[in-house]
Amino acid sequence: MRIVCPFCGERELGEFTYLGDAKPVRPEAGASEDEVFDYVYLRDNVAGQTSEYWYHGGGCRAWLKLTRNTLTHEISSVEPAAGVGARQAVK
Amino acid sequence: MSSCAILSSTIRMEGASVADFSWTARSPLEHALVAGTHGARGVEAGVSLTEIRNFDLIQVMARRGQGAELGKAAKARFGVAVPDAPKAVQTSDATLIWSGPDQFFVLSKGGKHAMQTLAPALSGSLSDQSHARALISISGAKARAMLAKLSSIDLHSDAFPVGAAAATSMDHTSVTLWRGGDRPDGQAVFNLLVFATFAESLWHTMLDSAAEYGVATGHSAELA
Repeated sequence: MRIVCPFCGERELGEFTYLGDAKPVRPEAGASEDEVFDYVYLRDNVAGQTSEYWYHGGGCRAWLKLTRNTLTHEISSVEPAAGVGARQAVK
Repeated sequence: MSSCAILSSTIRMEGASVADFSWTARSPLEHALVAGTHGARGVEAGVSLTEIRNFDLIQVMARRGQGAELGKAAKARFGVAVPDAPKAVQTSDATLIWSGPDQFFVLSKGGKHAMQTLAPALSGSLSDQSHARALISISGAKARAMLAKLSSIDLHSDAFPVGAAAATSMDHTSVTLWRGGDRPDGQAVFNLLVFATFAESLWHTMLDSAAEYGVATGHSAELA
């Protein structure tokens, strides 16, 4: 598998580390116990399109958000995760 | 280069409480680097590995949302735009090397762009890496063949011309790689910054990879 880093270009998988599902959103303060439990523990085991965080630690050290198909391994989009760098990628 | 304290005098008298230290810069490769030719015999060395010593290296990173301000300040300081893509830009007395989004290295010599002089001029987060990295210059007719064993990056001239740079990994070690100006004989020069503590390991790996082509090793105080 190769990932096209928006900053560095196409790189081998060994330069990246998987963080996890990019879908869960941290609940607001004061959210119910069920919502927090969901956020911390529950994950979908998706057959198809997923969004996930990857870290380009062997390269530019940017966090990336991928859209990947777990059935075909096709990566349909790679973008900088929110807060990466002081501004977005310069194409 | 790493700095080690060497006790230059011993305390002779009881009551003398201050030891005198002299700080001597020492290369992280001083044990591994044996200057000379290695590997294949009876051929002209296909790879040349030269450690560059005694450089100033400052990592500059923009604070969040302040990339443009840093870019302006850096342009005023260096007279050229800082790289905002994987490239290395040569100024009259420094090399600016992209190291990630909104960050770059300033490589120079002789204290012109050392921490004390650079910090007041630039509005980002600065970190002195002069003693935290080793700088290795790689050239020779077989330099690309040797690097191809360690790197998945296409280093062909069309894909990686003079001034191209990459933050990448070699032998599972993070490196900053860029192509410097060609040698007078026209051969490409690849410069590589590696964490000081990983330098010896990567050096041995490169020596092994280059052995079949014949390799000439040495060190220099001149930036390529």
